[in-house]
Amino acid sequence: MIRMSLRQFRIQALVGAILLVLAASYLIHLGGDIRAVRDTAQLQTQYGQTMLFLAAGFGLVPALIGAFWGAPLIARELETGTHRLAWNQSVTRRRWLAVKLAVLGLASMAVAGTLSALLSWAAGPADQVSGDRFSGLLFGARAVAPIGYAAFGFTFGAVAGLLARRTLPAMALVFLAVIAVQIAVPNLLRPHYLPAERVTVPMSVDTINQARTLGSITGGPVIGGIEIPDAWVTETSSLRTPDGRQLSDTAFNQCLDNAPRTGATGRFGDAAACLGKLDLHVDLAYQPNQRFWPFQWIELTLYLGLSALLAAVGMWRIQRRVS
Amino acid sequence: MQTPLVLHAERLTKRYGRRTALVDCDLRIPRGHVVGLVGPNGAGKSTLLQLACGLIRPTSGTLSVLDSTPAAGAAHLARVGFVAQDTPVYASFSVADHLRMGAWLNPSWDSKLAKRRIAEVGLDPAQKAGRLSGGQRAQLAMAVAAAKRPELLIFDEPAAALDPLARRGFMHSLVEFVGELGASAVLSSHLLSDVEQVCDYLVVLCGSRIQIAGPVPDLLASHRRIARDPATMAGFEVIWAERGRALVRGDATVRAARDAEPVTLEELVLAYMSRATGTGAAPGASAAVTR
Repeated sequence: MIRMSLRQFRIQALVGAILLVLAASYLIHLGGDIRAVRDTAQLQTQYGQTMLFLAAGFGLVPALIGAFWGAPLIARELETGTHRLAWNQSVTRRRWLAVKLAVLGLASMAVAGTLSALLSWAAGPADQVSGDRFSGLLFGARAVAPIGYAAFGFTFGAVAGLLARRTLPAMALVFLAVIAVQIAVPNLLRPHYLPAERVTVPMSVDTINQARTLGSITGGPVIGGIEIPDAWVTETSSLRTPDGRQLSDTAFNQCLDNAPRTGATGRFGDAAACLGKLDLHVDLAYQPNQRFWPFQWIELTLYLGLSALLAAVGMWRIQRRVS
Repeated sequence: MQTPLVLHAERLTKRYGRRTALVDCDLRIPRGHVVGLVGPNGAGKSTLLQLACGLIRPTSGTLSVLDSTPAAGAAHLARVGFVAQDTPVYASFSVADHLRMGAWLNPSWDSKLAKRRIAEVGLDPAQKAGRLSGGQRAQLAMAVAAAKRPELLIFDEPAAALDPLARRGFMHSLVEFVGELGASAVLSSHLLSDVEQVCDYLVVLCGSRIQIAGPVPDLLASHRRIARDPATMAGFEVIWAERGRALVRGDATVRAARDAEPVTLEELVLAYMSRATGTGAAPGASAAVTR
């Protein structure tokens, strides 16, 4: 059955291998370039954008694996009726599915693992300087977590194909759903893998000027992008007055729109100066950077567990399935 | 009864949602026969055969194939060969790839038999299965099913899409395989002519129910055509009657009746189908239903 799975997988494997070789040579080249930069302080400005771009592109890999390797695996057989040929050889349906999932699942994990290892290596010096590999986007393009994403993408694709019984709809659905999961997990689940550390940060004029945003389109006294050294900030409260209450909208807008002119410089100018006088603070939740590896393993386990669950659904379903 | 049974159904019923495909089917088919399963399209033939090879499961009732639940495990799968409707093959695989697949997936694979059959029917091993004609594809599918040397071969409308010449070739191969393997076979068709050529056991399925089943010689022996008004035939079981003629089933007394004439298999099948549907052709009338 292993040889049969490999034989059926031949063309998809070939396409995958070609893309893998192309991506790998680019990453090796990139790693060389990054290591050639003498002044490491320059790395962030030179390669910061590239890293984000690569991480976003890398996020598509599980979706592509799910759509092109996973979804057609069973759906194509059901669509062309060849399952009636395959399921009447001397191999039980469950074994047929188990071997297929194992062979292609391992191939998916190997592809993602290779790419992640190369990307982590290439980005190594840049990551060391910027210290932001624990951030939402880069975390998913480093180390071992991508292996879990690939396993999940593939298994989800295969099981969706089994349930949908049609290749094209299954491919489209899987592609979008895997991306949706990869957006949802970093925002909704990942901040809570371990209890967050909490800290209160006084809102001095300098601190306010280091923030990325002040206020929001929905109004309200919010500040965004306050950073803590060597940590991933997962939650930022609104601006709070010394008694712990939220700063009133009136007071906030007063500072934002009609701050006394002081000629203050800095990102938010007079508004920052005005807010700085109010003795405000925000409460932050954060995950220290030394939790990067625990979080990687937790996320890998989570995705592998999810894949196992999906595989179990597939095994149950294929035994009961109608022809 | 201790005779080993190929198919043994008891109150076998299969529903797809609200649609009923088979109702309360009872069957006891002994080994060693080539069984023809005939009935109009939509009668439930395909359902019965897919149940027999374990592709689907009964809604209620039981079915055992070679004394075991269909597709109970790898060992049982090896004992039953199945050629599905439209004879599916992997379009991107060559003929040789299919034989390789058979060898990979079946411990009992008879490579010599497979290669010899492929050569005998003139298939090029390097040819992609997607480029084969319907008749060639059917031959390939049959070779794959037969080369695992099953005890029972099941064919679901194997010849439905073939032209007359290809159909004849296919039926010829089928008989040869069954003979060579010493296997039993079940073959469904809506064409009585296919079945008549090769089968020595007949099952008529119509309106989701088994109408009659038995060895062909027994069926022919127990049925007679009588040119009489059915009203005067008390004691006979009238299967179908029309315009002063009737097809009846009975014992020696019926057969001894002076005006009783032997029936053909076609008349017999049509009589049971007509009775089941309450319409259609009478025995001996046009054979439109089977053509």
